[in-house]
Amino acid sequence: MGLLDSATQEAEDLEQLLSGYYCPLPRNFDEMMDHDGRVREHWRPFLNMLAALGPDEINHRFAAADRHLRDSGVFYRVYEDPAGAVRPWPLSHVPLLINPTEWQELKTGLVQRAELLEAILADIYGPAALVRDGRLPAGVIAGNPEFLRPLVGVQPPGGARLRFYAADVGRSPDGRWWVLGDRTQAPSGAGYALENRLALSRALPDIYRAMRVERVAPFFQAFQAELSSLNRRDDSRVCVLTPGAMNETYFEHAYLARYLGFLLVEGEDLTVRDDGVFIRTVSGLKRAEVMLRRLDSDFADPLELSARSRLGVPGLVQAIRNDTVVMANALGSGVVEARAMLSFLPALAPALLGSELTLPNVATWWLGDPAVRDEVIDRLDELVIAPAFTGELPAHIDRPMMLGKDIDRAGRARLIEAIGRRGIDFVAQEAVTLSTTPAWENGKLVPRPFIMRLLLARVGDGWRVMPGGFVRLAEDIDARAVNLQQGGRTADVWIISDEPVAETTLLPTPDRIAINRATGALPSRAAANLFWLGRYVERAEATLRLVRALVNRATESDQAAVDINAGIIALLGTWDAVPPDILNVKPALVAAAVLQQRELAGALPYLASAAQSAASVIRDRFSPDAWRALTELVEMIKAPFEQGPNESAIFERVNGALRIVASFSGLAQENMSQLTGWRFLELGRRVERALATCRFVRQFVFGTDLDGALDVLLELADSQITYRLRYVMVAARAPVVDLVALDPNNPRSIIYQLARIEAHLAALPKRGDDSRLSPPEQVVTALATRMRTAEAASIDEQLLIDAEAALMKLSDVIASTYFTTRERSEAPWESLG
Amino acid sequence: MIYDIRQATIYRYASPVAYAHHVLRLTPIDRRHQHIHAAALDISPAPVERREGYDFFGNRITWVVLDQPHDTLTVRVAARVAVDRAAVAKLGVTPAWEDVREAAFACADLSPQAPAHFLFPSRQVSLDPEIRDYAAESFPPGRAMLEGAVDLMKRIKTEFVYELGATTATTTPPMSFALRRGVCQDFSHVMISGLRSLGLPAAYVSGYLRTGHLPSGEKLEGADAMHAWVLAWCGAETGWVGLDPTNGILAGNDHVVLALGRDYADVAPIDGVIFAAGRQRIEVSVQVTPVSEARSI
Repeated sequence: MGLLDSATQEAEDLEQLLSGYYCPLPRNFDEMMDHDGRVREHWRPFLNMLAALGPDEINHRFAAADRHLRDSGVFYRVYEDPAGAVRPWPLSHVPLLINPTEWQELKTGLVQRAELLEAILADIYGPAALVRDGRLPAGVIAGNPEFLRPLVGVQPPGGARLRFYAADVGRSPDGRWWVLGDRTQAPSGAGYALENRLALSRALPDIYRAMRVERVAPFFQAFQAELSSLNRRDDSRVCVLTPGAMNETYFEHAYLARYLGFLLVEGEDLTVRDDGVFIRTVSGLKRAEVMLRRLDSDFADPLELSARSRLGVPGLVQAIRNDTVVMANALGSGVVEARAMLSFLPALAPALLGSELTLPNVATWWLGDPAVRDEVIDRLDELVIAPAFTGELPAHIDRPMMLGKDIDRAGRARLIEAIGRRGIDFVAQEAVTLSTTPAWENGKLVPRPFIMRLLLARVGDGWRVMPGGFVRLAEDIDARAVNLQQGGRTADVWIISDEPVAETTLLPTPDRIAINRATGALPSRAAANLFWLGRYVERAEATLRLVRALVNRATESDQAAVDINAGIIALLGTWDAVPPDILNVKPALVAAAVLQQRELAGALPYLASAAQSAASVIRDRFSPDAWRALTELVEMIKAPFEQGPNESAIFERVNGALRIVASFSGLAQENMSQLTGWRFLELGRRVERALATCRFVRQFVFGTDLDGALDVLLELADSQITYRLRYVMVAARAPVVDLVALDPNNPRSIIYQLARIEAHLAALPKRGDDSRLSPPEQVVTALATRMRTAEAASIDEQLLIDAEAALMKLSDVIASTYFTTRERSEAPWESLG
Repeated sequence: MIYDIRQATIYRYASPVAYAHHVLRLTPIDRRHQHIHAAALDISPAPVERREGYDFFGNRITWVVLDQPHDTLTVRVAARVAVDRAAVAKLGVTPAWEDVREAAFACADLSPQAPAHFLFPSRQVSLDPEIRDYAAESFPPGRAMLEGAVDLMKRIKTEFVYELGATTATTTPPMSFALRRGVCQDFSHVMISGLRSLGLPAAYVSGYLRTGHLPSGEKLEGADAMHAWVLAWCGAETGWVGLDPTNGILAGNDHVVLALGRDYADVAPIDGVIFAAGRQRIEVSVQVTPVSEARSI
């Protein structure tokens, strides 16, 4: 193909890609195409490369990105859904491209804003001179729920209140960028931006490399190093303080904690003692000195801030006063996010920084001033009226807003009356027309309005801007608001560099990170969740094995098989996997009940969900593959039987579920580093397996004389093959009991579980420095000694009953030794005149 | 007047409390028209940590930590307080309420007693359209601020039923307003909500009321427990004036101020976080006795 041909081909491909991308309205700005329908310079190479792929390959690549996101477990929690539903991460696959000149301007403007906001915070929580001098009305601060009075006069440990700042920007029809809102409380978006970048750079590796896209990893490395440097002690670890798994951005908290190597903690993990904040861990209290705070300020300390908070740490404010813990960002930093603040920033910049804002914000008027109020009422049609103080969720912009002309006559009269009465509650803002950027829809590029979140971190004396961003697209071409909750999509931002970019990976570079084999102390709450996860998964496995044994004999009609199945059903009944009144129905129906009944605490739907929810609050400790295995298990159990629950369908499902459980175990064994957390997961599994095996032995050795009962036991204990290899005879009582209960080399035997438990407990951190056995070790060692000295022939039912009791006690003692069990209540006052 | 104040608060827990943090707002301090001769706070069992300080609004705070298991907590207050609010009888004419509103909006002051802090919804006082419309009846155009506030206070006293147990510490103003009943806290919250919703600054006061019968033979409501009333801002010149909607009177020499804030949440006498299972019972006894020598000051 000649040069000319290839150029022609390129032009044709591009034309096809752009067909239907209508020339935007003359009033709007489009990122990709100018008003004359020409593709902007910095988009051309990208579009040519994309066009060269052809529509099928593009679809294929974009689907790969979606698969990557799903496999990584990226999701978005739907906030309004009480069941905590999540939906897949909505990635729009075409990145927004920003050219170097424009990026330089954005960067300068953002750093200036960050400095301005820090200066305002220092004044508000310090001398309050801005109010006294009439530059900032008292009501703009006093009326802001994020103005936290207990923090007034408190110097921020570490010297700064703002360490992580985000701005939402949009572009107006004249091509200028405007700040639509500042985020200073606990900005979200960094983790999502990282995930979008990973997914897209893997889907379009060739284009990504060829485009000289600025890398974001160095930004995160600098931020990580900065926060780590604020630790005063070597053994302290930076914490990410999260409100917990029900928060809509919890995925991001866990993700950032993993990525930055920080410890994910909830308020419950922390306690304030005399001189500082400590993490409750399985090794006792460990000091915490730096927190990346994702919990809203007002919830951070039930003692001095909102007393209703169940998420905070009592005494945290005092620890901050004592200069023992750095909060990034400081408590109360959200006060400068308020819309009302936007009215005053343009005038405050020259006063505090000596220069005008280079990146202005959307024109805003606070209506507490009577002169402004009258002017706004005259221009009501063209303005947006909004609450003066932010109250919306982090992922929303401009939701509770009304354009004057869209309000009916009665509503308008009410609004004017309300503004007249309490103008202090309102702002008026210039209506924003957002620019559009391309999104891929049905094999075509279409323009969509968007806003872009840009992120900054304080590093040393200055600020670093993340060279990238997090774009949210509206689904509707006419949208003035962008809202992820209501179906919007997100996109990556590519800052195109003038120069070749260094090939850094998103993974931390080895030369910058000191080797650290220990991952520090394990929070007690995480340990408890790992332990229970282990127990639930193992109980699910035992239950599945029982169901399989049941279905295996479902077609046999001889009395022995019927009686054995009655034994299995009785066993399922004792652990609440079947309803008590089900004893006389067909085995297939019993099996279906175990697989499907939601309300029974021993049935599969409950066990799988319980395992998943224990895992969901420790997402930072899991490989995405292990998480996916659990999700698959839940989904498989949830799916209805297409042809009804017949025997073969049940058999198939049980085997499928057992395979998933086995793969989960394998992943935990192979992919979790064998540290304290893994030991708690293991402990949970071993305790549960030992318990189940005791019950199996009791039921099928001592509960019945039937032919074939010992075979069921071998089947349940997955030991048939070993038995056949050792004994050339039918199953006999003493050898079977020996193999299933006492053989230290059979990984399914009771004694094997006890030996593993002993080994794990011995490896756990000691809480005292004496050499005595820990309370759980005392329990397990006593039991193990009794089992080790027992003969197969002399084992009786009582020994097994005692063993079960000891194992249940062991679980309780592990909990009381290593997990915090604490309930809290407030002290209400009920006697007032 | 000089009063001796004795208050005992006893928490009885169903199961032992292993660890507790408390914030106590129970020590009266010197304020305008009020002088403290002596005040002591006794806590049992003895806290392992105890720290004294002041909150943003200037109230005295005691922070305590208890780290020994305990099934009762007893807090005793003993104070001798002199009150001289003769000045309230001589209040002059206050500006029209609309002018007070504009003055409050424009006030360039963020200090603890500045009106701006008391204009907005707070943790326990929401702004509610029905309470607003109710309050608006007391404020026809041009009416003097204090006159309107007194009228609103008297309407609440007349139209609401004082009833112990009808509400709890967390009843919201719209709830007690709909019931038209409650105790001092509810009446104060409703009045504050009404004033603020018209753009008028209003604060919440916790304190004590003299025990026993007045010379007139009347008995004031709320004297056997802690009391609460309202401060309304009447412009820069007059400043804050105390109004007691439970009794329909201006706060005078029968009222001893303990703490003030935006609503009950700011002044709750005992707040805390305890680590325990189970429930608790609270007993409170209050005595406010005039000291006979009082006439001499």
